[in-house]
Amino acid sequence: MNTQTRSASRRIVAAIAALAAVPAVVVAHHSFSLYNNEVTKVFTGVVTRVNPDANHLQIFFAPMNAERTNVERGPDGKPIIWAVEMAGSAQAATQGVSVNNFPAGTIFSVGMHPLRSGELAGAREGNLFKCPAKKPPTAGKHCDAVEGNTKHGEGALAPAKP
Amino acid sequence: MSTPAFVQALYDSGIAVWMRDSLKAMPLIEATHVLAIATVFGTILIVDLRLLGVAGTGRPYSVVAREMLGKTWTAFVLAVITGALMVAPNAITYYGNTAFRLKLLALVLAGLNMVIFQLLTARTMPTWDTSAKTPTAARTAAIISLVLWTAIIFLGRWIGFTKGYDFSVPEDVQFEFPQ
Repeated sequence: MNTQTRSASRRIVAAIAALAAVPAVVVAHHSFSLYNNEVTKVFTGVVTRVNPDANHLQIFFAPMNAERTNVERGPDGKPIIWAVEMAGSAQAATQGVSVNNFPAGTIFSVGMHPLRSGELAGAREGNLFKCPAKKPPTAGKHCDAVEGNTKHGEGALAPAKP
Repeated sequence: MSTPAFVQALYDSGIAVWMRDSLKAMPLIEATHVLAIATVFGTILIVDLRLLGVAGTGRPYSVVAREMLGKTWTAFVLAVITGALMVAPNAITYYGNTAFRLKLLALVLAGLNMVIFQLLTARTMPTWDTSAKTPTAARTAAIISLVLWTAIIFLGRWIGFTKGYDFSVPEDVQFEFPQ
């Protein structure tokens, strides 16, 4: 290897080091300040899809009405969709929260700190409970009150904080 | 947006489930992907700067290319394998992501640029191999290459900030539960 090749190799190593450092800087795209930690909303909803992102798994769902007979709907009659974001897909899978365990149509309950922006999404807070298939809770209740529910995480369902 | 069968099959595959559920797989694969892309870009940069007459002009282009492009291809294969492993666990989301599609398009264009260079411009290489100043076609290929590979890196990062948020309502989900 001649001097120029060695010099080129050193430059490659420097370029690799510089590029490898970039994700560490820009990966901080999720800030906890995005969420209003003073408020906790508790929902029971119907899963519409799961985005198994490696950094933050998201469950998209249609919140149910207080009677638990239907989902909340907008003026156009279409279900209103919220998203709850949590740890990455692998971390969530250790709690049994995965694409296979939460297919569309699954009824579940979760607490979340909503986005300060008012967009319909939030960061998961506390435990998550799944109702047995097609068995929503009774009016005003959540899945933790349904016999045969499954628990995904430690502790209880987060209490609501207005 | 409907999902093609091969995307659904990739999403449902055993390797995708393993990637989704493994605590260590994604960080290791992602770090390897970054190193592979950095090596691809670094070695291509050296070759392109030689073509542009900016660096390495004391050495024949053929020598620079021979020393670098073997490393480029090795790293590229590694980048493709690790990239596929990163896409599989969330293939449906990636499929619908514009930045991901643009990245694939940029990869194809970079490949075409290389093929055109090899088939046309490189044929006259013996006449300019040792010259600092290369033909316009060679310099143009180098600029296109640098632009495309820079775009590939930017789009790769862009994917992480734009994928996933789909608030659409599926039609085949039961929303009513009369009691």
